Amino acid sequence: MNLITEVAAGGVRGGTSILFAALGETIAERAGIIYLGIEGSMLTGALTAYAVTASTGSPWVGVVAGGVAGALLALVHAVVVLWRGANQLATGFVVLFLGLGLTSLFGAAYVGREISAFKPYAVPLLSDIPFVGPVLFNHDPLTYLSYLVAPAMWWLLYRTKVGLTVRGAGEKPEVLRAYGHSPVLVRYLAVVGGGLLAGVGGAQLSTAYTNAWFENMTMGRGFIAVALVIFAAWHPLRAVSGAYLFGAALALSPALQARGIGLNQFVLDALPYVVTLLALVVLGRRRANAAPDGLSQVFDMTPAR
Amino acid sequence: MSDTSVLEPAAPAATPEPPAPAKPTIVERLKAVPWLGWVVAVAGAPVIFGAFVAVKGVNPFTMYADMLASLTTPAQAETVIIRAVVLVLAGLAVAVPARAGLLNVGGEGQIVIGAVCAAGVGLVTDQRLPGVVVLVLMLLAGAVGGALWAGLAAGLRLTVKVNEAISTLLLNFVALDLMLGLIYDPWKDASGFGQPSSRPLVDEARLPLFAPGSKLNVGLVIAVIAVVAVWWALKKTEWGFRLRVVGGNPEAARQAGMRVGLLLVSAMLVGGALAGLAGMVHMSGTEFKLRPGMTLNFGYIGFLVSWLAGHRPLRVAAAAVLLAAIAMAGDSLQINSGLPAASVNVLMAVVLLVVLGSNLRSRKVTA
Repeated sequence: MNLITEVAAGGVRGGTSILFAALGETIAERAGIIYLGIEGSMLTGALTAYAVTASTGSPWVGVVAGGVAGALLALVHAVVVLWRGANQLATGFVVLFLGLGLTSLFGAAYVGREISAFKPYAVPLLSDIPFVGPVLFNHDPLTYLSYLVAPAMWWLLYRTKVGLTVRGAGEKPEVLRAYGHSPVLVRYLAVVGGGLLAGVGGAQLSTAYTNAWFENMTMGRGFIAVALVIFAAWHPLRAVSGAYLFGAALALSPALQARGIGLNQFVLDALPYVVTLLALVVLGRRRANAAPDGLSQVFDMTPAR
Repeated sequence: MSDTSVLEPAAPAATPEPPAPAKPTIVERLKAVPWLGWVVAVAGAPVIFGAFVAVKGVNPFTMYADMLASLTTPAQAETVIIRAVVLVLAGLAVAVPARAGLLNVGGEGQIVIGAVCAAGVGLVTDQRLPGVVVLVLMLLAGAVGGALWAGLAAGLRLTVKVNEAISTLLLNFVALDLMLGLIYDPWKDASGFGQPSSRPLVDEARLPLFAPGSKLNVGLVIAVIAVVAVWWALKKTEWGFRLRVVGGNPEAARQAGMRVGLLLVSAMLVGGALAGLAGMVHMSGTEFKLRPGMTLNFGYIGFLVSWLAGHRPLRVAAAAVLLAAIAMAGDSLQINSGLPAASVNVLMAVVLLVVLGSNLRSRKVTA
């Protein structure tokens, strides 16, 4: 496999967990709640999926459990923010700490343990197409699932009544209230649903990508996902290309090293974060206007109470 | 204000005459007690953490007994103070920008950069210049480095509207990779073995100790000065007043003719400088070199310290000691109960969630 194909394929495989998290964050932020602890949901999802796969032998059961775990952690965020009115950004960060602590407490037993992980499945015929085949059609089932989830999310947000309600909660909650809906309930569901997707993303990381569990294994992917949502202007389909771009930045370092190209490894490791920052710089001003109204209040002036 | 306020039913229009003060209920009177939130958090959190630990098959009572016992040994108590010193600075680094309404989640990165800059200066000068000069230069380098790293986020915020919470978070990872890149290659200690690290600084370039045999260094003095200085600056100076106005209502501040952008940048620079100092103090007082994992999450815990303290300088000092004690107790957790040290993050997080969710503190600060 040549370098470009390898990095592109690695970008899709490695970007999938970020994509799930970014889609989850999109739905939460569309409803007007920023969930900075999405990284925590990824971690709890990754560990739970790994542990359940280890005990049941089925990674599919693991993924479902991982999604539930991610959703439960997001529920903590939703309760503290929506019920108690706490600062969203600070709470999200603390929830991440909670996820970090819980996963190290319960995860120690699973370090170094083998599981029957997801296997890559080459789609017949499609995987034989030059370049496109290896890049898109020779992956684990969860990556294929993400191909469906991203457009489904777009359809849900922009073509259904449910999506209108979610976006309404983020833009004009008072209108939603006037029509007899509860914006708070919508926000609860959006944050918990976002946590569920992030949990699935974490599950992809542990049961399909690294096939291992170790402490703090997400290494900032959740934060990249949060930044990615801004970069994608809160649009699910734009998040796809962004996620793969950052996945490719992650895949570049090992690919170059395997070819003996002597670059300082840590320069490459910093690349995804630098790329994310640069993307925000380039697109920041334009994207800020696309933010849901309810969200810009959080973003414009971070409340320090 | 949190945007959930939009969801509250509209407040009734102001009545012509001021309403008679209602007799406060017991709950309201309890809520007026400022330290009650702390007590609830400090008492409630161990129960929740204990439950998790019990699930793990460890007796929570013996665990807490071990944790407390470990803290009472003089050596451990000393380490708590040494770590609290760094956490005080890291907490203030969050508190100052928070007064201006900025969320500095980048303490970790600023600490790393502070340590890197201080170490860089130390490596060049420690064998040529007198110790005092080296230490002063290192302090300056740490503070300037941290300030510039934070200033980067402030600049992005003002020029291209990138939220500082996001940018500081991402910069943490960049800072860490920068340090690792340096110690794995150009600054690598050739005579070191095992883990890559930079060359240890000579004795004169280390922060002086209070007493021989003790590990307590003059970083404690730096932290005390910082607390008093920040308290004074926020409470007694025009700058501190303006920061609070900007943090409370930036639009009002702008209309009052304040240069909001400049104030925001200054708050972030001061915060970054404090974090940079924390990095310098930790590097030159405890580690004497750069090594992977040296920051021990100080930046992130400092964030929790500041929120626990409601961004008030004197309370930051108290909160720093509390969280330093919890973090140190984590080490005993590993030794006595066989649980990973990082498990205490659960305890810290629950304390913070209770405080954030209790609303008790927030009302006081905005008043």
